[in-house]
Amino acid sequence: MKVSFWGVRGSIPVADRGMARYGGETACVAVDLEEGARVVLDAGSGIRGLGAALVGQHRPIHILLSHLHLDHINGLLFFAPFFDPGAEVTVWGPPATGAPLRRRLARYLSAPLSPVEIRDLPARVRFRIAPSEPFDLEGAKVRCALVSHRGPTLGYRITDGDNVLCYLPDHEPALGQPLDRGPDEWVSGLHLAREADLLIHDGQYTEREYPLTRGWGHSRAGDAVDFAARARAKRLALFHHDPTHDDGALDLMRVEATDRWIAAGGEGSGLSLAAEGTSVAL
Amino acid sequence: MTDDGPPQQPLELILARNLISIVQVAAFLTDAQGDVLFYNEAAGEILGRSFEETGRLTREQWNAIGPVDAQGNPRVEQPLPLTTALQENRPAHGRFRIRSDGGGVVSVETSAVPLVGPDGFSGAIVVFWPAGESVE
Repeated sequence: MKVSFWGVRGSIPVADRGMARYGGETACVAVDLEEGARVVLDAGSGIRGLGAALVGQHRPIHILLSHLHLDHINGLLFFAPFFDPGAEVTVWGPPATGAPLRRRLARYLSAPLSPVEIRDLPARVRFRIAPSEPFDLEGAKVRCALVSHRGPTLGYRITDGDNVLCYLPDHEPALGQPLDRGPDEWVSGLHLAREADLLIHDGQYTEREYPLTRGWGHSRAGDAVDFAARARAKRLALFHHDPTHDDGALDLMRVEATDRWIAAGGEGSGLSLAAEGTSVAL
Repeated sequence: MTDDGPPQQPLELILARNLISIVQVAAFLTDAQGDVLFYNEAAGEILGRSFEETGRLTREQWNAIGPVDAQGNPRVEQPLPLTTALQENRPAHGRFRIRSDGGGVVSVETSAVPLVGPDGFSGAIVVFWPAGESVE
């Protein structure tokens, strides 16, 4: 399994030079499975670059959306395979009361917000609610569950051969409860992250910022480390970087998070801040 | 391959537990069968025992608490709001007496609300507080 970061920023894309090293595109992660299939996690602005790299390839593409906040879908209209009649794309997303997934996404992919209607996409595009029971996807096993964030939001666990990836890009498991006590079953997302080879987890805020943002559905980096340690994840990539954090600020967060990770028993090399354009081989 | 382990509780139950664990009004949380998964500190004060002492309670254990009459004898004929919430999947409200752990009888007023998530009915949240003596 190869995990490639095409967008790691949260909330809104940023183009500042001082943020270029970690990257300014919003959430999008490509997962190349052992049997050659490709799964895409979220469709933030980072999916534009990924789509350009996929032009001419006609393997089935599965896009697993964690939720429909704009920073996770704002690249959809710029995903090149959607405009390729030979492409086959399945978009999976969270359950919600009311409108089906296609109609919920069409609120964005329609006038007056978009010049192209969702029904006009040339590719063969299907929209499916991700089932609450584990399901097979191109030879991998996918398990998902609603997790603590604002609005229906899925976390994903992808098991491919011996490798496990967990993706919790927008997640505040410490909201209203300490992470160091209580049964595992009462901690949002923990079963998805358990002993994952790589956990990609929301670490948007610093300790100083968090009192002002508590309840917005995002974690401070320290909580993400504690969550990963409790889940016994082997590696942690902090994700969903705040759009106000430049490279220097993120470097500092990495140092502080690494200290905490080591104090919790992890190896220093096991913690990173996800950076656009980088890959992890599992 | 690592073991996925057991799943988490439905998110609506997790969030409900987080909520009732921090409010001052007495409340408890049940699963779809009516077993009590959690009750908060305020509820523990009325019952006379904390959740840390008792842990989860089956519906049968919970039913032993009430409803009772003024002398503490069971009143099986009186429908509980929780029963209505579980069986009819709708909110319900009522007043009755319960037996505290110390043997005393306490009048309470209760509201029960079913919790329904994407996978259907998962349990109920029940809020209760001491009432006057106008229990029927």
